[in-house]
Amino acid sequence: MTQLLDIFGFLSVLLRGISLSFEALTTGGVLFLWMARGLEGKEVRERALRWLTRAAAALAIAQLLLASANSAILIGTTDLRPAEVAGAGFWKATLLVLAGAMIVVVLARGLWIRSAALLAASAILAGSTMLSHSAARIEHRWILMGLTFLHHAAGGAWIGGLPYLLLALRRGGTDSEPAQLTRRFSRLAMASVALLIAAGAGLGLSYVGSAAALGGTTYGAMLLAKVILTGILLLFGALNLRIVRAVRGGASPDLLPLRRFAEAEVGIGFTVLLTAASLTSTPPAVDVLVDRVTGPEIVQRMRPRWPRMETPAFADLSPASKLAIPENSRLPGSFVPGQLQHPNTPADIAWSEYNHHWAGLVVLAMGILAVFSRRFRWARHWPLAFFGLALFLLVRADSENWPLGPRGFWESFQVAEVAQHRLFVLLIVMFAIFEWAVQTQRIAPRRAGLVFPLVCAVGGALLMTHSHSLGNVKEEFLAELSHIPLALLAVAAGWCRWLEIRLPRDRTQFVAWVWPVCFVLIGAVLILYRES
Amino acid sequence: MPIMLALGLLFPTGAPGHAIVLSAKPAVNEVVVGPDIPIKLRFNSRVDTRRSRLTLVTPDGSQISLAVGEAPSGDSLVAEAKGLKAGAYVLRWQVLASDGHITRGEVPFRVQ
Repeated sequence: MTQLLDIFGFLSVLLRGISLSFEALTTGGVLFLWMARGLEGKEVRERALRWLTRAAAALAIAQLLLASANSAILIGTTDLRPAEVAGAGFWKATLLVLAGAMIVVVLARGLWIRSAALLAASAILAGSTMLSHSAARIEHRWILMGLTFLHHAAGGAWIGGLPYLLLALRRGGTDSEPAQLTRRFSRLAMASVALLIAAGAGLGLSYVGSAAALGGTTYGAMLLAKVILTGILLLFGALNLRIVRAVRGGASPDLLPLRRFAEAEVGIGFTVLLTAASLTSTPPAVDVLVDRVTGPEIVQRMRPRWPRMETPAFADLSPASKLAIPENSRLPGSFVPGQLQHPNTPADIAWSEYNHHWAGLVVLAMGILAVFSRRFRWARHWPLAFFGLALFLLVRADSENWPLGPRGFWESFQVAEVAQHRLFVLLIVMFAIFEWAVQTQRIAPRRAGLVFPLVCAVGGALLMTHSHSLGNVKEEFLAELSHIPLALLAVAAGWCRWLEIRLPRDRTQFVAWVWPVCFVLIGAVLILYRES
Repeated sequence: MPIMLALGLLFPTGAPGHAIVLSAKPAVNEVVVGPDIPIKLRFNSRVDTRRSRLTLVTPDGSQISLAVGEAPSGDSLVAEAKGLKAGAYVLRWQVLASDGHITRGEVPFRVQ
C-alpha cells in the first residue's frame, strides 16, 4: 500500500497541474468568447466552442482523478469509510469545479449563453480557490481566497485565452477581423497581467513575508522561478504588443510572428501553471521558521569544487531498504503518506555527485556539439550521446535496484521513484531517436522537430514538481537551488528551438544560438552540483 | 528534450504536502509526567479534525487510537492519553488540511 500511496502522492501534484491548465483553458475560453463577441466569424466561433468543450471535459476528468487519488490515500491510511471521505472539503470543491465544467460543456454544445458561461467559469474558479493555500490559512482567509480567485481568473484570461486567439488567427475571417480581434485581446491581456501581478503580489507578501523567507525556503525559491517565467512571458507579450501597435499604425497586418511568439507564450504559460501546482503543495515560506537556509549556507553549498570523477565503491553505499516499511519503524516529524526517507551517507552523496558530474560532462559535450553542428555536419549526430546518458543513468540512478542492487528488475517497479526513472529512460531513448532523425534531416523538422520543445517544457515542469519532501527541509531547499536553474534553462532552450523551427527563417538567428548555449549551461550546472 | 528526463533520474522524488507542525505538546523528545498526558498539535493550516487521526505507539509497540478533539482556532488537534506507564512513546498524526492536502508525521516523547 505504501508504494501505491507514493505513486498517488506524486500523481496528485501532476493532476493538480493538469487541472490548473485545463481550468485556465476553460475559463480563458469563456472569457475569450465574451471578449470576441461580434467579431468572431461562424467558423472561428464553432471551432473555439469545440475546443472549449474538450478543455472543460478534460478539466472535469482531471479534477475527478485528483479527488479520487486523495480519497484513496485517506481510505488507505485511516479507518475512514468512502462515505465519510465524500464529505471532505476537497470533494465539495471538486463538485463545484465539476458542475461549472459540465455547464460549460452543455452550453458549448447547445445554446451558448454568455452570462451563464461566465457564472460557470466563476464556479470553476471558486472550486479551485477552495483547493489552494488560501482556503487553509488561519489569518485573512477570505481576503487571500479573494486574491487567489482573481489571480486564477486573470491567469486564465491571459494564458488560457491565448490558444483561442491563435485558433482565431489561424482560421482568419475577413482581412480586418484578425487585427481587430488581436487588438481587443491585447487590451484584455494587459488588464489581466495588471490584475495577475497585483493579486500575486498580495499573495506573495502574505505567504512569504520577508526577504529571508524568500531566499531561504523552497517556497520562496520556487516563487522566484515563477516570477522569472512570468517575466519571460511579459517579454513575449511586449514583442506582440509591438506588432499589434505596428498593425494599428498602418503597417501590413503580418500576424505570423505574433502567432509564433504567442505559441511560445502559451507553452511557457502552462509551465508557470505547473510550477503553481507545485507551489500549492509546498509549505508557505512564512510558516517555515526553524529550517530556513541562510546566505552563508547557500554560498558554502554553491562554492565551485572540482567535479567528482571517481565513483565510491558500491559496497560502501547504504544497504537497500525494505520495500514495506515495518510498523515500528521511525518516521520523520512531518511527511506525506507514502514518502520514503533516504538518509544519505558520505558514500551515497559521493555516488550521487559522481552521477551528476558525469551526466553534466555529457550534456556539456552535447551543447558544444550542437553549437558546432551549425558549421560541421558531423556534429549533427550529437543526440546520439543521449543513448550513453540513458544507459549510464539506468545503471547508476537507482543503486538499490537492478542491475546493481539486490531488488530485481520487476520487483523494483514497486518503488514509484524507480518506476518513474524507467519511464524517463524509455522516453530519453525515444526522443534521442527523434531528435537525431531531425538533426540529420532523416525526417522533416516542421512537425517532428516540435517534439523537442514540448518534451522540454514538460521535463522542465516535472523537475519543478519533482521533490518536495518535508523530512529534511534544508536539504530539500539546497537541492531545489540546482533544480530551478536547470528547469528554467530547459524551458528557455525548448521554446527557443520551437521559435527557430516556427518563425520565418530571417528571424531565427538569435533563438537558434540560445538553445545550444542553454545546453552548455545545463551541463555546467550539473558539473557544479553538490550535495554536501 | 531528453535532458530534462535524464535530470529526472538524478534527483530524488518525493510526494508533496504542506501541513507542518508549528508546535507540539508534548514536544519532540520531551520527558513528561504521567499517567495522563494532554496532547495538542498546532499546524500552519486549518485542519479537518473529523478526518484527521492521532495514534499512540506504546513502549511495547502496540497502537492506541486517540479520540481527536478540535481547538477553537481550527488549526490544532487535541486529545488526551490516559493511564500511560513510564517508557518511550511515539505520537503519530495524520491530518487532512482544509485545502485537501494530507500530511503525516510523528512526535516521540517519554513518560516518567
